[in-house]
Amino acid sequence: MSTSSLFRAPWRKVAAPRPNLHTAVILNRSPILTRTPTSFERAYYAYQARIQRALHNPFPHDFYFKPGSLLESKFNLKERKRDRKAFGPGFGADHPLAPGAGVTAQNLNKFGRDDDETPAPRIHASDVNGDVKSLDRKGQRNLYLLIQQKTDDAAVWKFPETAVVDNELLHESAARDLRAICGEAMDTWIVSHKPVGLYEIHPSTTLTDAAAPPKTCVFFFKAHIMAGQVRPGESVTDFAWLTKREISERVNHQYWDGIKDMLSDF
Amino acid sequence: MSAAAVRAAAAPTRGLRLRPVRKIRKLVHDNRGLPIPHVDIVVRDTHLSRLGEHYYNTLADDLLYLTYKHESGPRPPPRSIRLMYDPEDPYAKLRHNPPVGGSQVGRKLAPPTTSENVICLERIQLHTMSKDALASRQNLLGPIMALRALSGETEQGGGRRGSTGVQIVRGVKSVGGWVRPGLPLGAKVDLRGAKMYEFLGTLTEFVLPRLREFPGLLLPPASTNLQTPAGVSGVVSFGLPPEAFGFFPQIEVNLDAYPKTYGMHIHFITSARGVGAQERARQLISGFQIPFVRR
Repeated sequence: MSTSSLFRAPWRKVAAPRPNLHTAVILNRSPILTRTPTSFERAYYAYQARIQRALHNPFPHDFYFKPGSLLESKFNLKERKRDRKAFGPGFGADHPLAPGAGVTAQNLNKFGRDDDETPAPRIHASDVNGDVKSLDRKGQRNLYLLIQQKTDDAAVWKFPETAVVDNELLHESAARDLRAICGEAMDTWIVSHKPVGLYEIHPSTTLTDAAAPPKTCVFFFKAHIMAGQVRPGESVTDFAWLTKREISERVNHQYWDGIKDMLSDF
Repeated sequence: MSAAAVRAAAAPTRGLRLRPVRKIRKLVHDNRGLPIPHVDIVVRDTHLSRLGEHYYNTLADDLLYLTYKHESGPRPPPRSIRLMYDPEDPYAKLRHNPPVGGSQVGRKLAPPTTSENVICLERIQLHTMSKDALASRQNLLGPIMALRALSGETEQGGGRRGSTGVQIVRGVKSVGGWVRPGLPLGAKVDLRGAKMYEFLGTLTEFVLPRLREFPGLLLPPASTNLQTPAGVSGVVSFGLPPEAFGFFPQIEVNLDAYPKTYGMHIHFITSARGVGAQERARQLISGFQIPFVRR
């Protein structure tokens, strides 16, 4: 019996081994397009827009336009189209007695045509060719960065993850993790100093060594990408920007159960 | 036929008894012969709000993570408030009787952070004071028309009872030779819902980028005491100079219809309450791309 155990108070136990601490970053590209409303929403909005169009206060034409101006004619023409679309021909601005009823598109042509601006398409080229590395894909959805790393037996998809070194705070470790794994060519912002989730990895076999760490705790931090792109280091074999469902197809079941509630459904 | 069989034969008819036919009320018609519906018609949202979606998809999550304060265990009960004088004491009955230790309003704790009470923008108030309205109240017509054009709000607009439209602000107290109580001084309007987000988008995309030498909204110095009623109420305010008036697209189309340009105060009224409410309100507002700078 050693001297230290002789003098140790009988109620004090040996400190339990601490778990391994890891941090991971959920790097998010937020939606860059407003989502397409569902068919129900579209019907609802169209109905409300018709009610609003039918009940709005009379438009003060003389306050906004000089009488007979080009701007007024343009407005009347567009308003006529909109009213015809909402209520059918012959109502509102499409009524033969409405202001500016005589103006036609041909009349406006003599002032010169202004080119209508066509908005950029909502489907990007990367959506068509299935390029999962592009940050422009799936503009309406939240995308998350997943990286592929080689372990001894297989290639595993997961969020960028690293072990916490001594005397390092969790959020510092998360920032270091992101720079080390994904390179310096990105502008990112880690949202909060607090982790947004925890995933625990228990060893598959019962431990024989009492001093070995009983489990690994992975703390997740949410981050946003503002600009740039991932330049993965040597430890990374592949990366992808994926939606929640696409992530579920690549990661293993256990990992998915641990992370699925940290991700946005849409 | 036994009595039970008779009862069994009679039972289905009891279940199938027909309800009396409901009378359809006839619609009342107005003097032009058009039907007036039975229900109050209220105009709801007419389109998906871009910034509203941005709030629900991105900002709400981030703000929950940013503003979360971990609390272990339930909070201690609030301090009991003791008044300076015993209210039962007839000698002190009519004295000013403040609580001992001063007002606790500025030290009110924020409610515990949950996913249900994430800070959100409740309304935006635009407010403009027109000094020349003192000379003639006709001079208020310009600001009223400007606020109507900016907000699109009218009194009970769209059948909404709560919609107040543009309101006239009147003097509250007497200031020697200048203001008397009840004198019309300016106008204000409250924006909520989709129109609020639309205004916010206009402000950040058309107005603020075109302002000359605009670094951002000035933050108060770090030494400012925020334990005041204003500091815990979750309101962020700033002023726009008259030069910014013409940058709003709603005004730009017919700027010459207004007798002059008007500046305005813009108040972002959020749901944040308690200690640190103003910081949390700024975090929310900056999520809508309104810049802040330290002086």
